[in-house]
Amino acid sequence: MKVKRIDHIGIVVKDLATALGTFEHNFGFTPDSAKGGEVAALGIKNAFVPVGASDLEFIQPLGEEGPVAGFAKERGEGMFMLSVEVDDLAAAVESLRARGARVGNPNGGVAFVSMKSTHGVNLQLIQRG
Amino acid sequence: MGIGATHIDHIVISSNDSAATAALFSENLGLEIKRTMSRPGTGAHLEFAKLKEVVLEFAGPGTVQPYDEVKAKLSGFVLAVTDMGSAVAALRAAGFETTEPRAAVQPGAVISAVKTGTHGVPFALIQYNALPIETKG
Repeated sequence: MKVKRIDHIGIVVKDLATALGTFEHNFGFTPDSAKGGEVAALGIKNAFVPVGASDLEFIQPLGEEGPVAGFAKERGEGMFMLSVEVDDLAAAVESLRARGARVGNPNGGVAFVSMKSTHGVNLQLIQRG
Repeated sequence: MGIGATHIDHIVISSNDSAATAALFSENLGLEIKRTMSRPGTGAHLEFAKLKEVVLEFAGPGTVQPYDEVKAKLSGFVLAVTDMGSAVAALRAAGFETTEPRAAVQPGAVISAVKTGTHGVPFALIQYNALPIETKG
């Protein structure tokens, strides 16, 4: 398996608009209007800010359930996830499983590697295009 | 206003055993560890892999203490800027606390940490080619 690049860093925030305002007005980062929005199935809303060839993803939990809400409750705001792009998601999942890693089934172009298989780092595999 | 960031320069993954975490990521993701070093001053054990423009830095103690399991986490990232002086001045003018730029581990580079107002994300700025690089004649 070969990773192509860092796709994005996921950052959990309490309030998406406030965080975007901070990063846009003070750091000069403009959100990508083509990405992000509300993801009801995950109980979040998000926005992506390009920085070079990768993005910062700001994620706000919308309720009390789910991994993002759990992270926010336990740790507050902070770095939540690393997303890496692969050429072939199914093959990447297969390769990792063959190495003994626990990986969720691909869904919507992404798959999550169990934190038990990454020394605790929340790792997402994503296939673009 | 902006800080002139060009890209994410590196992402830091800290671990109680950075060599083990670097090896795990290297083996599972096919990353090549390009450099291993001991940080001057602290003795921290650092290993580096590169994915296009972004470096993954695995950082841990120089002397690994006995542990039940390896524990790692995303602990910050560094943005590359083209003019550290302007970036730091802009942030300070906006009320952010930043450290005084200092020489980085990378030859010729300077680094400054943004200490406040980052929504829980520790991050720093780095400018390459900011200092003359010493050459041995």
